[in-house]
Amino acid sequence: MTVQQYYAAIGADYNEVIRRLGNEDRIRRFLLKFPADQSFSILCHSLAENQYEEAFRAAHSLKGISMNLGLTPLAESSSAVTEALRAGPPSEDIGPLFAQLEGDYNTILAAIQGLSQA
Amino acid sequence: MEKRNRILIVDDTEMNRSLLADILSAEYDILEARDGIEAIALLGKYHTNISLVLLDIVMPRMDGFEVLTIMNKSGWIHSIPVITISAETSSSYIDHAYDLGATDYINRPFDEKTVQRRVCNTIMLYTKQKNLEGMVTEQILEKERYNFLMVEILSNIVEFRNGESGLHVLHIRVITELLLKKLVARTSRYNLTSSKIALIVNASALHDIGKISIPEDILNKPGRLTDEEFAIMKTHCAIGAQILQNAPNLQEEELIRVAHDICRWHHERYDGRGYPDGLKGEDIPIAAQVVSLADVYDALTSKRVYKPAYSHEESMRMILRGECGAFNPILLECLVDAGSHIEEEVRVNSPSGMSSMEIQSIATELIASNELRASNRTLALLDQERIKYRFFASMSQEVQFEYNIHSDLLEVSEWGARYLALPELIAHPKQSKQLQKVFPAADFQSFICLLRGTTPTDPIVSGSYCLSVQGEPRWFKVVARTLWDSEDRANYSTVIGKFIDIHEEQLELANLRQLAAQDSLTSLYNHRAAREAIEAKIAANEGKNFAMILFDVDYFKSANDQFGHIFGDEVLKYVAQRMRQNIRQGDIAARVGGDEFLIFAECQSDAMPQIQRVFHTLTGQYKDFQISISMGISLCPENGEAYERLFHCADQALYSAKKSGRNQYRLYDKSIQGFLSVLSPMDN
Repeated sequence: MTVQQYYAAIGADYNEVIRRLGNEDRIRRFLLKFPADQSFSILCHSLAENQYEEAFRAAHSLKGISMNLGLTPLAESSSAVTEALRAGPPSEDIGPLFAQLEGDYNTILAAIQGLSQA
Repeated sequence: MEKRNRILIVDDTEMNRSLLADILSAEYDILEARDGIEAIALLGKYHTNISLVLLDIVMPRMDGFEVLTIMNKSGWIHSIPVITISAETSSSYIDHAYDLGATDYINRPFDEKTVQRRVCNTIMLYTKQKNLEGMVTEQILEKERYNFLMVEILSNIVEFRNGESGLHVLHIRVITELLLKKLVARTSRYNLTSSKIALIVNASALHDIGKISIPEDILNKPGRLTDEEFAIMKTHCAIGAQILQNAPNLQEEELIRVAHDICRWHHERYDGRGYPDGLKGEDIPIAAQVVSLADVYDALTSKRVYKPAYSHEESMRMILRGECGAFNPILLECLVDAGSHIEEEVRVNSPSGMSSMEIQSIATELIASNELRASNRTLALLDQERIKYRFFASMSQEVQFEYNIHSDLLEVSEWGARYLALPELIAHPKQSKQLQKVFPAADFQSFICLLRGTTPTDPIVSGSYCLSVQGEPRWFKVVARTLWDSEDRANYSTVIGKFIDIHEEQLELANLRQLAAQDSLTSLYNHRAAREAIEAKIAANEGKNFAMILFDVDYFKSANDQFGHIFGDEVLKYVAQRMRQNIRQGDIAARVGGDEFLIFAECQSDAMPQIQRVFHTLTGQYKDFQISISMGISLCPENGEAYERLFHCADQALYSAKKSGRNQYRLYDKSIQGFLSVLSPMDN
């Protein structure tokens, strides 16, 4: 799978990313680094233990990374979780928001598998 | 090759840091920090060797806003530009970062070109600004330098004609400065800033330049001037002022303006009877008033062609009595305040000790030889000092520390941090749980109290504290000093110092103390130590009863003779051991002479059972020698409450026991008063 195909596969805009980050090689390298980033697992972990401050930071990091790599669906769903956690313990159930985020994360991760095999 | 600029990237996410590093590493050297605390540590270490900081806001431990706050307090923000990078788009976040001094704000998702351009532009801007600052500083220095030189030259011309050595000008400077400083301390009425004072001091040297136009025979006439001559002499004020006024294009110069006032009006009198204009009171500019007084004082205390030198005391009296003109009362108070200082300074600045003159000329030369170049060189030297300091600190095996009050950061030397199992950098040390584990809060507080007692003139403190080193208590000696900024004299800005492990020494000392108090054969107290301990016990007594038991071993001399001295020593050791076994903790057992021993024990109001028990346990068989003892006892408070008295009584009772055939004990009572003594020095 090429980088261009990858962005098509996850429903994001390849041209926007290439314009911002300059070259495909760089994008590929950082996409391949993405699975090693701990933000998602920290988010799961801290949500399970009701550590909302830490969960906020993890969601915030995830949002930042996915924005920079142009992983638009994940950027949007992690942004929603970030906002829900900004003021401390969420006022309503964030289950659906988190489910959306988890789904997007898994899609992106699976697609990266395809990228690394290319 | 040109030195590359160094950028500090602060972000808790590794991906973000490496993406930025990837974008920037072709042009710049990169440092990375995972949170605010690491960032501050790197800033402290590299300081102005960091050209720019890229700062994330949301981070654990210490966030980006806190980093900016500390950079403000420590002044770093003025020399190191900060660009914040965040996925936050709310204006409150962005505004807050700008308010805290951030130069720029980049939103995520950022693009390569934007990051590179903004970083490049910001660094260029700051470099330009630094260069400009350097240039401005240099120009100001240059101007000061020329001012100073010209004033020196002009005033020396006048002095030369006057047949004087330049000392008068120097004295006027010194006295003017001392008077002005006292004046500032007394009143804010004259708006004298320190730069204004420097200006007046400099201008004061020009007070007599008008004398350049006075004929030499009048100027240096040994006798009294005629009325005509005096009239000519008086013109020097107006002429000096005129010279300055005619200086082309310089009317706007503050120095010229002040010098003009001084020249024209330094012979005015506060009562309005001076010349040339008859100004009165505060109509006379303060600069002229002060120089006028300085001039009079120096004229009185110096030898002139027409008069001898008066002593300081005589001169002061003449001035204060109004014999030499009329002055502003507050200035006269200043003169009295500064009196001894002025006398001292003027004496030092006289031909026998030209120290200050020499210093001044050296300073002038230094300034002229361009040694005081731009600030970049100073910064480079400063960095070298930092490296040296770190190197020595790492080798010294001492816990060295530095605390900055503005950033509230405690920095511990590398070795020290490892030794105490502390981080090298502790933010908000007063609240740090980690620090409290090592340095108990109460001790820490007392150390802070010590530091608060320091002053700029007396900044060093020392003390001893017990720290917990990996769980073990150990004694440390601390020596610390406070550093003070020149602007803020009320509070210190920094504390530096070191903790030295003195645990072994302390133990050794305790050991030596114990040895000094011991009898070497039996390890009981010796006589002197026993006396001290007993006196302490009596002094601390809260209505308790004590018995002083004094005994010796019967026929000990024959044991020595019969079985030898080694055996004799064994007997004494055996007795000592029995004593130790049969007294309670807190009681005192001592060997007070060859075979004489003493016990000082707390007892019931009826002491007899206890005494009998002690007597019997000390009697018995040691190898072939039958130990029996004779014992005398005195009671406290019954027989007295002073050590001497109790000892004397026990001694007499012991004598009585021996007289009655040995192997028995006697309580002191009136009947044995006056008996001869066995031991007591009182009767010897």
